[in-house]
Amino acid sequence: MQASPPDNAGYMIVAYLVTAVIVVGYAWSLWVRSKR
Amino acid sequence: MMVTRDTARRTIRRGLILSGLALAGLVAVYVMALRYTPVERLQGPAQKIFYIHAPAAWAALMAFAIVGLVSILYLWLRDTRLDHFAAASAEVGLAFSVVMLTTGPLWGKPIWGTWWTWDARLTLTLFLFFLFLGYLTLRTALNDPAERARFSAVVGILGMLLVPFVHLSVYLFRTLHPQPVLLKPSAPSMPPEMLRTLLTSVAVFTVLYLGFTLTRYGIALLGEAEESRDAG
Repeated sequence: MQASPPDNAGYMIVAYLVTAVIVVGYAWSLWVRSKR
Repeated sequence: MMVTRDTARRTIRRGLILSGLALAGLVAVYVMALRYTPVERLQGPAQKIFYIHAPAAWAALMAFAIVGLVSILYLWLRDTRLDHFAAASAEVGLAFSVVMLTTGPLWGKPIWGTWWTWDARLTLTLFLFFLFLGYLTLRTALNDPAERARFSAVVGILGMLLVPFVHLSVYLFRTLHPQPVLLKPSAPSMPPEMLRTLLTSVAVFTVLYLGFTLTRYGIALLGEAEESRDAG
């Protein structure tokens, strides 16, 4: 019998959220600095 | 070389457009990775962290290597634009390093059973992060622009020398970190649908790097143009 993949989607979701926050946050900081 | 406000504004605009396109590309990568790329049988959904972790690492290492190369050019040509570009690349490299250093442990915990281990790849990557944090700190500590550019160029070149060690550390030392699946002498070792998502993400992170660096570089040029105007 083939084992099903482990249930660790929580780590994946947090990683994708953290990446979005860092990348969008940095883009926003550049946008703000460019308008000063 | 004198930089005009118009040139700086134009550079910023181009950088922001490129960043916007890359952010749209990042949304596409998220959809590809989370919706269409299959779940790896042994590692489960956590393996999908790979599609952002590896491209972020690529972008960070590329950024730091470019800091070193541009710093060499600065020491040769003494053009302040090169110094501004190196600083922009270092800042963007640090942002991608934060992505790499946060997504790595989030992948390591479910697969290795630990958030962090002091093996060669992880330790060298952390050193590289601190080195470029020091690079930017040094820049804020020096007031004379010529001195700041010269000293930080030397640190930037030293940082670049660490980049090949980070990449090759998985071959040179016994390490928990997996070996490269893309940047290696033989063909990529993964199924086509996973490879497609990875390559798309690498392309998107490369454009993100270009967009962010161009914007940050334009902001530095604008600052210099305004200082020259105030001084004049």
